[in-house]
Amino acid sequence: MEFQLLDGPARSRCAELVLPHLNSAYNLARWLSRNDADAEDIVQDAFERALRYASGLQGTHAKAWFLTIVRHACYDWIGRNRPSELMRGDGTEAIEAAVDSRPTPEETAIAEADAQALVRAIAALPVGFREVLLLREQEDMSYRDIARIVDIPIGTVMSRLARARGLLRRSPLLHAVVPPSMRTVGK
Amino acid sequence: MNCNEAAGLLPAYGDGALDPMQSAAVEQHLLACTDCAGRYDEQVALGVRIKRDAPYFPAPPAMRSRIDAVVAGTRKPARSPPARARWRWLGAGAFAGSMATVLAWLIGSAVLDWRDGTDLAGEAVASHVRATLSNHLTDVATSDRHTVKPWLSARLDYSPPVQDLSSEGFALAGGRVDYLDRHAVATLVYRYRDHVVDVFVRPVAASAAGSPSPSVSTVRGFNVVRTSGAGMDWLAVSDASADVLTAFVSRLARGDAAP
Repeated sequence: MEFQLLDGPARSRCAELVLPHLNSAYNLARWLSRNDADAEDIVQDAFERALRYASGLQGTHAKAWFLTIVRHACYDWIGRNRPSELMRGDGTEAIEAAVDSRPTPEETAIAEADAQALVRAIAALPVGFREVLLLREQEDMSYRDIARIVDIPIGTVMSRLARARGLLRRSPLLHAVVPPSMRTVGK
Repeated sequence: MNCNEAAGLLPAYGDGALDPMQSAAVEQHLLACTDCAGRYDEQVALGVRIKRDAPYFPAPPAMRSRIDAVVAGTRKPARSPPARARWRWLGAGAFAGSMATVLAWLIGSAVLDWRDGTDLAGEAVASHVRATLSNHLTDVATSDRHTVKPWLSARLDYSPPVQDLSSEGFALAGGRVDYLDRHAVATLVYRYRDHVVDVFVRPVAASAAGSPSPSVSTVRGFNVVRTSGAGMDWLAVSDASADVLTAFVSRLARGDAAP
């Protein structure tokens, strides 16, 4: 990638295309870093990179293009700060490790803990599964766009999503809270 | 299609990623097989639950202003030092720092009332312009207030009143979540003839209370009208005339007789 100082119009055109996706960028960075302040730094870093790479932006896929850069910035950050997160096997250890910090049964009896349990369960997913799940469920992105952002084949998007959902459904963090009667729907 | 094949395709089917032929085949199978239909329902329920319960983190205003600074080309206020460096600074300059903080606080609180009105109007206009320029006026685009209201409520800690006043020339175009005064705030988007009207709505308690009689100001050619009513602080921004805008906001803030 060529580094160059951009003239004003190119900078502002890039900013104009990318700025509408700042919420998506922050949401992704926040879920991947699990931390407000770090997510802010990551998105700013990504935005500055985006301005430098502005020539690579064709205009039609600004969101996927920007989120690709955000994801790279996230991975750089994780690599520097939590390298162990990038070296997980099938992802079950992370979830099991997080189970220790789950609330007591009395706490989980509270109805609203249901939502918190889901958040904890998603946060405990290995980052490679977390990102595809959130891009799909929160950003409603197509398999093709997710494949671009995460840089994997579409078939892998599909299998990772299936695995992410499976891990989430079976997550002890989730099951600690949801009564069995709520777990299945439509039978 | 047997259950094994169907199970493999269910995620893509639910995500709308199959071609029409495959999609029809899965649908056929789901009609015939209660086991797979149950599995599919579970999958859908999980998606619904994620959408409902997993928080969506919108860009915080502090970060937006840092990024605005980058856009403007002023690099100075960009990245704040990393946390560890900040602590070292704190240790070294604790006294000077705290004195400066106290001073800033004293000055800040003295001018807060004065700042509130003008800054808020400026922020609102900036937000209106940004939305118009980027052609991203609405996160949820519909004229149905029964869709806009729950969409906004799900993303905020309050539920703004939403009215469709198309009978009075103001057609509801949708809503979005925006930032004002360091809070996420409901933004209702209306169209009045060729004008776009952004109406920012937030609970009165969350802000320095606005006055019940509308205050009108002009920022960079846009009219800004602020009032309070129905327990909410209302602030409308548009290039429509001040009179029209004032009448409209007052009507919204009265909140009665929603059609």
